[in-house]
Amino acid sequence: MRMEHWRFTAPLRLRSILRSRRVERELAEELQFHLDHKIEEGIASGLSPEEARYAALRAMGGLDQRKEEMRDMRRIHWLTDFVDDVRYALRTLRRSPGLTAFVVITLALGIGMSAATFSMVDALIFRPYPVPHPGNVVTLVSTSRDNSFDDFSYREYLDIRRSTKSYDGVVANAGTQAVGFSAERGDTPRVRAGMLVSGNYFRALDVEPQLGRGFRDDEDAVAGRDAVVVLGPDFWKNEFGGDPSVVGRTIRLNGRDFTVIGVAPESFPGMLIFSRPDFYIPLAMAPAFSTSPLKNFFEDRDDRELSVKARLKSTTTLQQARSELAVLAQNFEREYPHVNRDRGAAVRTQFEMRTRDDDGNWKFGVIFTMLALVVLLVACTNVAGLLLSRARTRAREIAIRLAIGAGRFRIVRLLLTESLLLAWLGGLGGIAVGYLGIRFFHTLSIPTELPLTLPFRLDTRVLLASLALSVLSAFVCGLAPALQSTRGDLVNGLKTADVDAPGRRRLWGRNALVVAQVSMSLMLLTASFLMVRGFHSGVVAATGFAKDHLLMARFDPRLVQYSPAQTQRFYQRLTERVRAIPGVRSAGLTENPPLGLDAFGRIAFVPDGSEMPRDRENFTSTMDTVDEGFFSTMGIAIVRGRGFLASDSADAPRIAVVNEQFAKHYWPNADAVGKHIRLESRTGPSVEIVGIARTVKYRQTTERPQDFVYVPLAQHPIARMLLLMRSNGDPRQLIDPLKNVVRSLDANLPISETRTYEDLYRYNAVEGPQVAIDLVGTMGAVGLVLAIAGLYGLVAYNVSRRTREIGIRMAIGAGPRDVLRLVMGKGLVLVGTGVAIGLTMGLALEQLMNSALFNAGGVDILAYVIVVPTLCLVTMLAAYVPARRASRIAPTQALRYE
Amino acid sequence: MSKPNDLVQGTLDLLLLKILALEPLHGWAISLRLKSISGDVLQVSEGSLYPALHKLEQEGWITAEWKNTENNRRAKFYSLTRLGRRQLETEAANWQRLSTAISHVVQLSET
Repeated sequence: MRMEHWRFTAPLRLRSILRSRRVERELAEELQFHLDHKIEEGIASGLSPEEARYAALRAMGGLDQRKEEMRDMRRIHWLTDFVDDVRYALRTLRRSPGLTAFVVITLALGIGMSAATFSMVDALIFRPYPVPHPGNVVTLVSTSRDNSFDDFSYREYLDIRRSTKSYDGVVANAGTQAVGFSAERGDTPRVRAGMLVSGNYFRALDVEPQLGRGFRDDEDAVAGRDAVVVLGPDFWKNEFGGDPSVVGRTIRLNGRDFTVIGVAPESFPGMLIFSRPDFYIPLAMAPAFSTSPLKNFFEDRDDRELSVKARLKSTTTLQQARSELAVLAQNFEREYPHVNRDRGAAVRTQFEMRTRDDDGNWKFGVIFTMLALVVLLVACTNVAGLLLSRARTRAREIAIRLAIGAGRFRIVRLLLTESLLLAWLGGLGGIAVGYLGIRFFHTLSIPTELPLTLPFRLDTRVLLASLALSVLSAFVCGLAPALQSTRGDLVNGLKTADVDAPGRRRLWGRNALVVAQVSMSLMLLTASFLMVRGFHSGVVAATGFAKDHLLMARFDPRLVQYSPAQTQRFYQRLTERVRAIPGVRSAGLTENPPLGLDAFGRIAFVPDGSEMPRDRENFTSTMDTVDEGFFSTMGIAIVRGRGFLASDSADAPRIAVVNEQFAKHYWPNADAVGKHIRLESRTGPSVEIVGIARTVKYRQTTERPQDFVYVPLAQHPIARMLLLMRSNGDPRQLIDPLKNVVRSLDANLPISETRTYEDLYRYNAVEGPQVAIDLVGTMGAVGLVLAIAGLYGLVAYNVSRRTREIGIRMAIGAGPRDVLRLVMGKGLVLVGTGVAIGLTMGLALEQLMNSALFNAGGVDILAYVIVVPTLCLVTMLAAYVPARRASRIAPTQALRYE
Repeated sequence: MSKPNDLVQGTLDLLLLKILALEPLHGWAISLRLKSISGDVLQVSEGSLYPALHKLEQEGWITAEWKNTENNRRAKFYSLTRLGRRQLETEAANWQRLSTAISHVVQLSET
């Protein structure tokens, strides 16, 4: 039939299928009409009524066949066949409800876990930016030796924007930062997340505000002039109740008045994965939110804080953009050798940004997903084994169908429809499981005031993925059994219902399944154990300092417009008064606590007297700014030299304390105390090292020893500091006294992030990994249980199939022990093969994970020692029970066994 | 009655389409009309008629409507659609070509 004709006739056909009863009735009526007239004609030509009737009926005989032809004409064959198959499959499944339930649950677990972990991977890697045409949004990064994903400075951003022709708009944003927000003048400021963005941010990204407008270009032109703000959609709902009159209102941010000019749309929660900005402010207002007072944000070309994104023009290729930017970077290097030496620039796609090497989260997501897929595979193998054994019991039925002319493909289709139905039901269950899994992710409590969200959702993409998985599982589970059970020998199939015909090849499928189950169990086990150990070692690892009895509180006097001098005075008074609180053993200040949530700063230096390699300007290390009370309060020992003293003031010679690792790194054979380093370059200010602190864990419990430098607060005054208080009793008792002290100093100053160090540590180093451990452990356990259950079933079934053979052997003289030996020997061979394969793959997996993730260290013997014997035991048991039963049956009965 | 000539399925379609092009009719009337127009040469059995009508309807060349006859009995009246009219032209043209060709061959003089 011609194609366009199909469009016309298909509705007709569909209608006749759906209303087939009515069509049948109409046909009967039409034929009756015809019959009546024919009889009348017969009577009119002289026949008697009975003769006329008889003649008419005879003439219209054979009409039933014609009716069948007409019905055939009406069909869309594959559709009606499919509907029939589904009905038949439903009947079959209803007949064995236990099996159906088991299969559906098994598949639901596998699919659900895969869906939940896929939601993770989706959020971390695949979900596109929430803007129109996200495909051509690229990120421009600055590259250096240490960092392939560095930010740009303000001047660099302007140069890029001006000099490049590949883009339809280049935007820049700083990272989200804590901003003191109050809706009314006089309210105590609360900490919220703000983001500084370029004036063209919303326009270039094609984001239309739902209220008001975005920024105009002129509003980002003059530093400090236009105090305007665009609100984020959630913030607007939570703070202002979705009030449309918010446009034009004034709010206070960090003590300054800002006018609300618009609200971002619901569809735009921000370009970041984990955090959603509460509001957006033009870059020109940066001085009000400056993070580092030593640097001039607008002028310093090495104050690199801006993330730059751009829309690639449709006429430009990615390669062209990359070349253009590389040339621009070379120009920078030439014109500003001091700050741009060895710096390149690159254009990165969203995928490249999401899968960057320096961020491990996505790697975990991928590994979780692979684990879940293995569990799914185990589930499918189970189901395949079950379907295979069930297909055997239907061998006679299938043989009959084949004998009366059904094509082999037709029967395969029938069986596949059954597995498709099972898989679809499993998929529905899987979606429920996945939903629960995602809810579980969301129960993680994140202890910051900044709005961090876990972006794992059960959205359409995840649902589609689940659907695809279901269909795939159906094919994996159902195809092999379907093909195998429709193969050849009709005669034998018709003769005996249930018994295996002799021959080797028929068992190949089931044996392969057993081997597959064993090896996958081992692999699953290896992976789970490895990850659990890796996370666990992180949890119990010694940190190097005392975590107990420690209360923390964060301050940022810029929120109430303190000058730098006022800030430093505040901190001095704060620590004085806090130390006087009864119950406080010691107190100190630090920019960030070890193993905290924020990143440490970095310091660039040149060790005095050392030869710098030709291509490097300086070395870098992580650093922290602390006061004189820090080391004793945190419990970090000073192993040589001294810590900081109150006498290390701003006028005193500049000093620093380094950790053991740093000292060992740069002065392996000498005492680092007394040595000097120069800041930034060989000609920078000289800093003397006065002490060496013990190396502790700084960023992660699983990290290797890191270089670290401490500088005194007095010589490196920064505004945002964390107060640490070591208490004699319960640290929580100190919260109220602390509040009183702060109130006595300034009633308007907000305190944030008040918590004990143990809580922070528990979240960061324990709960996070603990969740991962639970997740991996659950997946591993489920997978193993499924695998063991499937293994038992398969082996037991295999052996029971051989009952007749066993009967024959015993009839010709084999003793029960010979039989057992034969059967269990076979089982042992299978397990052995499976173990060998599983071990090999497990080792390979271990190598992969060690290199990609953390150093969990070495081969895990304990796991294998436990599980390999368990698997062997299970297999042996599964073989033993039916074999023993078979060997006990009288041979004559066994021979007749069907 | 004389044995009706076997009609090739394709030509039956053509005949039915032509008859319905003249006016809408129900199945019984179509078979009567066919007999009368062709002078009793062409008779179609019920076993061929209704499947053929059914096929024409499935192809969308004719459409059916249940109406009352003069005797006030319900009958299914078929009529030609626009698609059917086009199909009729095509088939008529084909038939013309075919029959001309056959005539040419048959009228060849034997030597």
